[in-house]
Order: sequence, then structure tokens, then C-alpha cells
Amino acid sequence: MAGLQERLDEFKKAFESGAPPYNAPHEAIERMHRATAELKASGLENGALKVGDRAPSFTLFNQDHVPVASTDLLREGPLVVSFFRGHW
Amino acid sequence: MMELEALQEIHSQVSGLGAQIVVLTPELERYTRALHNKLNLTYDILTDLHLTTAEEFRLVFVLPDYLRDLYKSFGKTLDRFHDEREYRLPMPARYVIDMEGIIRAAGVNADYTIRPEPSEIVRQLRALTIRLGHTGDSIRGGKQSGECHANTSR
Repeated sequence: MAGLQERLDEFKKAFESGAPPYNAPHEAIERMHRATAELKASGLENGALKVGDRAPSFTLFNQDHVPVASTDLLREGPLVVSFFRGHW
Repeated sequence: MMELEALQEIHSQVSGLGAQIVVLTPELERYTRALHNKLNLTYDILTDLHLTTAEEFRLVFVLPDYLRDLYKSFGKTLDRFHDEREYRLPMPARYVIDMEGIIRAAGVNADYTIRPEPSEIVRQLRALTIRLGHTGDSIRGGKQSGECHANTSR
């Protein structure tokens, strides 16, 4: 199975080719590149929490509307937290 | 989506190491439910409504107007999916947190087309649990942070 980055790169290549099924206009791709470059240049990623920092605790609803508390999960073992912007 | 699938692929290994995975997204529950079903996920997707937790991890940015307009033209309206009128988003980020609540590995990249490999997580967790086994003590924060990779300074 290909690695995640390999799969993402493949998708990006197909998307940015402008060909079907995505038919992404060149101008749209330019805008996306510009936004990413600007965000990178803003240095925001360097201000994010990093190794050695205390993780904020949270209680949030899962997909079945059950509240899930990070403190409960951490009592059982280490926790992997992945931030996902959305399926859209 | 590809990332959620990739996390699913390592979930049993992660569980085997005594750890858990949660995905945090600003998407509303009706969308997380649909996504969870569609991808047959065995870990939880949590709705971080209005990015409250993402803010605490300092991951939130505002989409520039020229991109907001573009997304809207594609029908990708964040007001609908996230109840998010300001068009804020989290940077993609992944953290491994030890039982003391200390971050032991972090992968954050402003470029959303770049993600750390999930196999890295397994490696990082293994490093944590091996230490746990040897010391018979829970992991203390801060001191050994050099042992896990921080991908933040690429």
C-alpha cells in the first residue's frame, strides 16, 4: 500500500493538471497556491503547540452525539489527536 | 479523507499499543456521522464546534477572501458545514500525547497538501510504550522530548 503522502501527491498532480474529473481552472489553482504560500510565510505553524507542551483537555461530541473527554481517554493510554479540516 | 483512511489502516496497531486515535474537525455532527459510516471508521470523529480546541492548540487561521470566494463558487460553504461564518480553519496537525497530557510528537504544516505518515505515529507510540514498560512509571513530560520528531520547522 502506498504511503499517505504518495497518495496525496498523486491526487494533487491529477487535480492540478486541470483535466477531468476535477477540471480545476488554472486560476483556482493559483489562488490555492497563493493562500498556502501566505499562510506558510505568516509563521503560524511555528506558533502551534509543540513537543513538550501540555495538551489542552477537551470534551467534544463524537459522531453518535456521545461526549468524549480527553482526560478519560488519557487514563487508558497515550492519545493520537489529528485535526481534520473537513470532508468538503 | 485520504488521511482518515490512512489513520484507519493503522488503528489496530495503535490499539495494540494501548493507545487511541481521535480526529477533531470543525464539521457539524450530521457530517461526521455520514463520514464515519461511509469510511467504516473504528475511531471517533469529534466535532470541535467553532474550533474551540483547535484555537487552544493554536492552529486556527482565516481563509483569505480570494479563497473564500473560490470555495463558495464550488459550493464548499463553511457556514453550512461548520456553522463558520468567518471561514476559519485548523491547520492540519497531528499530535501524540502521553498519559500525563504532555505532547510527545507533533506534526503541523501550513501546507495542507503535506501530512506526516501515519506509520510515524506507530513508531512514536512504540517509543513511548517501551519507555513505559521499562520504567514501570508513566511518562514524565518535557525531559525526553528530543526522542520524538517535531515536524513543525520544515
